[in-house]
Amino acid sequence: MNGPGIPWYLAISAILFSTGIAGVLLRRSPLIVLLSLEIMLNASNLAFVGFSRLFGHMDGQVFALAVMAVAAAEVCVGLGLIVAMARRNLDLDVDRMTELRG
Amino acid sequence: MVNGGWVCLISPLVGFLAIMLAGTRITRRQAGIISTVSVFVGFAGAVVAFIDAWRRSPDDRTELTTAWTWLQAGQFKVGLELLVDPLSIVMMLVVTGIGGLIVLYSNGYMAGEDEERRYFAYMAFFVFSMLLLAESGNLLLLLAGWGLVGLASYLLIGFHHERPSAVAAAKKAFVMNAIGDAVMALAFFLTISHIGSLEYGTVFAAVDDGRLSDTVVTLLALGLLGGAVAKSAQIPLHTWLPDAMEGPTPVSALIHAATMVTAGVYLICRTHPVFEGAPDVQHLAALLGLATLLVAGVIALVQWDIKRVIAYSTMSQIGYMFLGAGIGAYGFAMFHLVTHAFFKALLFLAAGLVIHRLDGEQDIRKMGGLRRSMPYTHATFLIGSLALVGIPIFAGFWSKDAILASALAYGGGLGWVLYVGGLLGALLTGLYSFRLYYLVFHGEPAAEGHEAEHHGEGDRSMLVPVGVLAVGSTIVGFLAIPGVWEPFETWLEPVVEPLVTPSTTQEWATSAVAVALGVLGILLARRAFRAGRELVPDGAVRTTLEHKLWFDELYDALFERPGRAVAALLRDRVETPIVQGGLDEVAGETMRGATLTASVQSGLLRTYALAFTVAVGVLTLVFLVVR
Repeated sequence: MNGPGIPWYLAISAILFSTGIAGVLLRRSPLIVLLSLEIMLNASNLAFVGFSRLFGHMDGQVFALAVMAVAAAEVCVGLGLIVAMARRNLDLDVDRMTELRG
Repeated sequence: MVNGGWVCLISPLVGFLAIMLAGTRITRRQAGIISTVSVFVGFAGAVVAFIDAWRRSPDDRTELTTAWTWLQAGQFKVGLELLVDPLSIVMMLVVTGIGGLIVLYSNGYMAGEDEERRYFAYMAFFVFSMLLLAESGNLLLLLAGWGLVGLASYLLIGFHHERPSAVAAAKKAFVMNAIGDAVMALAFFLTISHIGSLEYGTVFAAVDDGRLSDTVVTLLALGLLGGAVAKSAQIPLHTWLPDAMEGPTPVSALIHAATMVTAGVYLICRTHPVFEGAPDVQHLAALLGLATLLVAGVIALVQWDIKRVIAYSTMSQIGYMFLGAGIGAYGFAMFHLVTHAFFKALLFLAAGLVIHRLDGEQDIRKMGGLRRSMPYTHATFLIGSLALVGIPIFAGFWSKDAILASALAYGGGLGWVLYVGGLLGALLTGLYSFRLYYLVFHGEPAAEGHEAEHHGEGDRSMLVPVGVLAVGSTIVGFLAIPGVWEPFETWLEPVVEPLVTPSTTQEWATSAVAVALGVLGILLARRAFRAGRELVPDGAVRTTLEHKLWFDELYDALFERPGRAVAALLRDRVETPIVQGGLDEVAGETMRGATLTASVQSGLLRTYALAFTVAVGVLTLVFLVVR
């Protein structure tokens, strides 16, 4: 097997995932939150592909493709929501959206 | 024979369903016609069955068919069985024949009422239920018919559901009948547990060959008697019948005079082997009949409502039938059932003509002098009264005296008590029925306002049935002339063998005494009427009679008030603190818990995400540590 070993892939995946979490937790713009979510998804994709390579199975890669499809759908919905908010002149701030408070 | 039986049973059911399903698509008049035709088609079926049976030899007149298995539970099996034999043919003819006449009468009587369609549907339904009861081939199907006639009776007593008294009367009738039904059902459970069958044949054979112990037979007989007593309004379950007069008059004629209330007598005759296996219970039936005929007879002396007088007279006459059945004179009991169906339906329908004419007035104090303005009604009512008292040639003469003669032939202390009591009843019958007759038809018209000639004596659909019944009340008695011609008893003999047969001398001697007493009653009633006084003078006796011997008050004190007290106690001690209180606690705690949980929902997206992340982190750690 050529190239870097599996720990490298996992390390990068972990770094990306943490970056994504930090983005979701710390940023208030819904656009950035969405973007951070994408980063997390891609971190998991990387881990999938890495493991696929390690075990010599194609399952992980197939899963990665599935995740991409889901991610594309999610972005569609998410961006659609954000555009709708912008059209209504709502603040693009997730902390202001507390209508579901119990 | 069986085909006739099926037509007879199904036709009224079809009529009922047709009226119910058609709803407002048919006019009220059409509903009446459908109902009448369906019952008369049933009558045609009964006649076919009768002719068919008549042609056969006397031993070959019983046919039992099973349409399909109606109910099966393990070894226990009940078929939808029809039993057509001389006894059930008699009932079929009476129910559909007299029933048809009464439904025809209803077409005129009920015209202009609201909800006539419902009325006619219920009438057809009642006829169907009664036929199911009469034609059933086993005890369970009989119980089904038994319950359904009770339901039809409930629905029709409460037909004027806007009147609280009618609703209360319907409820009372239903509850009283439910007591009888329950007792009967218990007896049937006992029978099933012992012999696993409710077929007439199997049960009777088991009674005869001793497979059922004496105790069980006695309990079964008591159960049957309980049902019969409730349905036939005998003491102590009789209080519902006078109140049932809240129903429309044709309903009183059909259900509470001619057919349903006599079902108890039919039941005793049908299950006579059981009663013969428990002679004490059978004697109890005779004594209850005697008590009822006397009590009802004296109460009838003071009633002011025309229908109530006739209702008490019905109870009294059914008392005679119970007396007959109780000493084993089944043929005569059934014969009295038939003649009574004729003359009592006649009396009710003639009373209906009076009530119709007087725009719903039922108080006989406000009647009087109707002889001149209603000659036809007067004549028919007189025939009915004469038949009721048992004056020769009219129907009641032949049947009632035969029962009394049987009591004489039965002999012994019991026989004599029944005989003397029955004769006393004949005197009472003369008194109350002619008190009623004179108050309604003789003397000065009490209410001038009612004399308006606006609707004659009644519609033709009302007058024709009354006429037919009057003819019937006159001639039907000739079916049993002692010592000369007794086709009715011969007809029933293959099915119900009587235990006693009075000699011709006994019959004629009894008749002489009974007629003398009846005439004496009539004369006394006439003298009292001429003198303008009541038969029972004011005083304690009269008060007691007006309160119907305090039966209602007694039951009120014994059952209703304790029942209410227990219910109130349970409401205060159990329902409110425990059941309702428990529910309130549960609901309150749930609300508090929900409020607490809801405060977690801050609506802040990032808080959720944090909780999510921390939770996943913690779970991951836990899994790692546990592995």
